[in-house]
Amino acid sequence: MFGKILIANRGEIALRVLRACRTLGVEAVVAYSEADRESLPVQLADEAICIGPADAKRSYLSAPAVISAALVTGCDAIHPGYGFLSEDAGFADAVAAHGLTFIGPSAAVLERFGSKARTRHLLGGHGLPTIPGSDGLLRDEMHALDEAERIGYPVLIKPSAGGGGKGMRMVRTPRELESVLRVCQSEAKAAFGDDSLYLEKWLDENRHVEIQVVVDRYGHGVHLGERDCSVQRRHQKILEEAPTPALSEAARADLAERAVRAAVAAGYENIGTLEFLVDANGDFFFIEINCRIQVEHPVTEMLTGIDMVATQIRIAAGEPLGYSQADVILNGHAIEFRINAEDPAHDFRPGAGVVERYHAPGGPGVRMDSHLFSGYEVPPFYDSLLGKLIVWGPDRATAIARGRVALDELVVDGLVTNIAMHQALLVNETFLEGRMTTNLLDRVGSAAFLAAAARS
Amino acid sequence: MPEPVQPETTGTPRPTAERPTAERPAAERSADHAAMDRLTAELLPALIAKLGATGLGELEVREGAWRVRLRRPTDGAAGRERRTADRAERGTWSAGGSASSHASSHASGPASGHDGSGRSDGRTVASSPAVGIFQPRPDARAGTKVRAGDRLGSVDVLGIQQEVVAPTDGVVGACLVEPGDAVEYGQDLIVIEFASSPLGA
Repeated sequence: MFGKILIANRGEIALRVLRACRTLGVEAVVAYSEADRESLPVQLADEAICIGPADAKRSYLSAPAVISAALVTGCDAIHPGYGFLSEDAGFADAVAAHGLTFIGPSAAVLERFGSKARTRHLLGGHGLPTIPGSDGLLRDEMHALDEAERIGYPVLIKPSAGGGGKGMRMVRTPRELESVLRVCQSEAKAAFGDDSLYLEKWLDENRHVEIQVVVDRYGHGVHLGERDCSVQRRHQKILEEAPTPALSEAARADLAERAVRAAVAAGYENIGTLEFLVDANGDFFFIEINCRIQVEHPVTEMLTGIDMVATQIRIAAGEPLGYSQADVILNGHAIEFRINAEDPAHDFRPGAGVVERYHAPGGPGVRMDSHLFSGYEVPPFYDSLLGKLIVWGPDRATAIARGRVALDELVVDGLVTNIAMHQALLVNETFLEGRMTTNLLDRVGSAAFLAAAARS
Repeated sequence: MPEPVQPETTGTPRPTAERPTAERPAAERSADHAAMDRLTAELLPALIAKLGATGLGELEVREGAWRVRLRRPTDGAAGRERRTADRAERGTWSAGGSASSHASSHASGPASGHDGSGRSDGRTVASSPAVGIFQPRPDARAGTKVRAGDRLGSVDVLGIQQEVVAPTDGVVGACLVEPGDAVEYGQDLIVIEFASSPLGA
């Protein structure tokens, strides 16, 4: 096991990693930017070090600053959290070159799964159905138009390096494709430093179901079930749950087993998530693999009782997994609500400011992962995630009932949040019947959605 | 993610590429000083007025190879300093009373990303441009006269030297850290005493 871990992230995930380190009895150092000097992870850490100014490019995204901070504080490993440098093969390589361990897949594994187009091809070869898409990256506009014609409209334009919905657009006609291609390119360039794009067939009514896998260095792999992330707004997840209401128990087990088999066969290592689109017939298509701890990992933790961040650290330290598939019990139903500083009544405009009063809900099966406290000033420089409320129940109806109570109890005064959006979801018929699809919120419009909930 | 207020970013600092650590020619230095004089005399008052008039938290302007960044004081500044002090007592990493706690103008070298806070009480502090290992320059010992932009030492970041420069004309005072110490970004390193306000206000 490691002696001391540098946490190279911020907000709720920095806090989550700090808790995992303490549980494992490993010392931790929180690396922070000037804008996060007053943040909760920094206050709670035994040791914290300022690595740069508010601008993430010069702090959380600066490989030299992060590695230098780890070296001068005597750390032997770096936990990148999610976002920032968490899936950067170049960074993982530089970390290893300085004699430190990157907590996540090795640079070679990140490199192998770095390109989404190549990963689809690789895992397709290991028995996973993949979504029809362009043959490799788009070379130019002509190539894009030809490939879109071959796949059939509507198609989704996606950045090869990306995530989080940036640089992604669904287009229904060649004309639309021509007009947004340049925009997607510049968005991808700005967000990921790489403007390469590819195309994917767009399924109008689809659900997003992902399989959590865990693979140790010795090729032992298990799955921890699936998560349904179909409640999205512009390709950004806002609510996740498990098990998925979309598939039968047998179909879920089949999908999960095929996913972990393919991941192990393709040489994946550490924790990872295989994302699938599931169409109206229950057919599934592999779309991409996420090589990091994910925002929605607590959903799986609630079902399995497994500390996934601790698992990730143990595997990076070279420990064997220590349990088999038969030991993994998926129990009950869990829902995660992402609490964001954004205004659902005004097109989810992001906000910043001072949290005048914060109160976290409690009770059986209720968990709040958040870095908020009363008086905390949310800086405007980073993403809008304020925390995650996770509820668990022996069945979906109980989880939903606990979710309603917990959302009513949650107090975040001083900022506009999306709490009302979640409350609206929990009285929405489509959600209650487990029929949400990824485009539903965008199609209905969030304002109309809120208004419908207010009437009911 | 909302865009940072700062309009310009330098990415990974690479000081040696654009700003050799060897002594620079006198002509280049005097050009730098002229640029800084122009910034302080003409640009700063206008910028301060502009920052006051807009709702922005921060402004940055480039002039030749130099740039000036102005940051508005935040309401939480007092609490921030208090908590920072608490942490210093606990013996953990912190930059006591660093540049970020104050309304300040930063005169930054072209690539160093250095923040020096201008205070008007006759003392200012050269702070660390990065996280790494600090080495003072042997000839920048206490009592030495320096001009704004003069090198006082460096911070080693993975073998690359990032310069610690004097934020203003003055005399080198106490060195707040030992040679070879690990320092964090923005940490106060060397006191500079000066005769009059650096902004000429």
